[in-house]
Amino acid sequence: MKLFHARMIPVALRVALGAIFIYAAVPKIADPVAFAGSVAAYRILPYFWSYLTAAVLPFLELLCGVLLVCGVRVRSGALIIGVLNLVFMVALASAMIRGLDIDCGCFRPEGAKTAPWVALLRDTLFLFMTAIVIRHERLQVRSPLPERTAFRD
Amino acid sequence: MAQKSSLKTVLEIAVIVFVSAVFGIFWNRTLLADAWRGAPAAPQAAPAAQQAEALPMPIGLAQVKELHDSGQAVLVDARSGASFAKEHISGARSLPLEEATRQRTPQLEGVAKDAVVIAYCNGFSCHDSMDLGKLLIKAGYGSVYVFEGGLPEWRDSGYPTSGGAR
Repeated sequence: MKLFHARMIPVALRVALGAIFIYAAVPKIADPVAFAGSVAAYRILPYFWSYLTAAVLPFLELLCGVLLVCGVRVRSGALIIGVLNLVFMVALASAMIRGLDIDCGCFRPEGAKTAPWVALLRDTLFLFMTAIVIRHERLQVRSPLPERTAFRD
Repeated sequence: MAQKSSLKTVLEIAVIVFVSAVFGIFWNRTLLADAWRGAPAAPQAAPAAQQAEALPMPIGLAQVKELHDSGQAVLVDARSGASFAKEHISGARSLPLEEATRQRTPQLEGVAKDAVVIAYCNGFSCHDSMDLGKLLIKAGYGSVYVFEGGLPEWRDSGYPTSGGAR
């Protein structure tokens, strides 16, 4: 029973991480202009690039989220999510250092304002979850389903 | 074996990013085309004297710049006093939404009721400028516009701002 629980944790984390990214992507796809405003508020990208980011990023989040939830191409999806998380964290940290009073723009564009440090902590948690998912995936690739092999023997 | 698996992952990542980019660009093609031209959501016609309406009209960056440079419009910053002190569009005056709400019918000192007034705040995700615009219309100002790109779009275009440390 304990073994069952331990094996379920990475799967649960994978599905949760995927669901979080789908949840984050949908409102941004629905209102790209508001998300472009959130991106522009970071003052990192030039004007047009804020819009391009706002157009593409939510779809990348959505696709990776769906892959993680479905358990398809998990390693690639999780790696992209990991890199995205790192990029978000750098952007948030730079906003904090520059003292920008902005909403992180992580989830709902018109939702309650989230302070950069809260978002940074949240992204750290997501990154940790991603690391576990990738590590579990690698272990599975190395030794695919040992219990089935035992059954076949 | 490991090298082959890494190559496969890199290829998969490239495909995922490519597919997302194609979908994203196609889905938002109109918005991106407008942004490329530099005027998303900008009205086509030049702002004429606008009669009092319930909602303030949106106005694009190019027109705001023109009215700003020719001194034909009063720019009103709807953000907090502290944000205004840090940075604001040159020549703008501060009227935080909170203060305007408290006053109910906010008055802009020395500004005629038929003057062109443009409210702005922190860009597209900020709705304070729209709310301030509504209050100004209620207070009797006839030509109220909202610059939805706000300070971020203005600054990113390299137009002048004033204020303390960035």
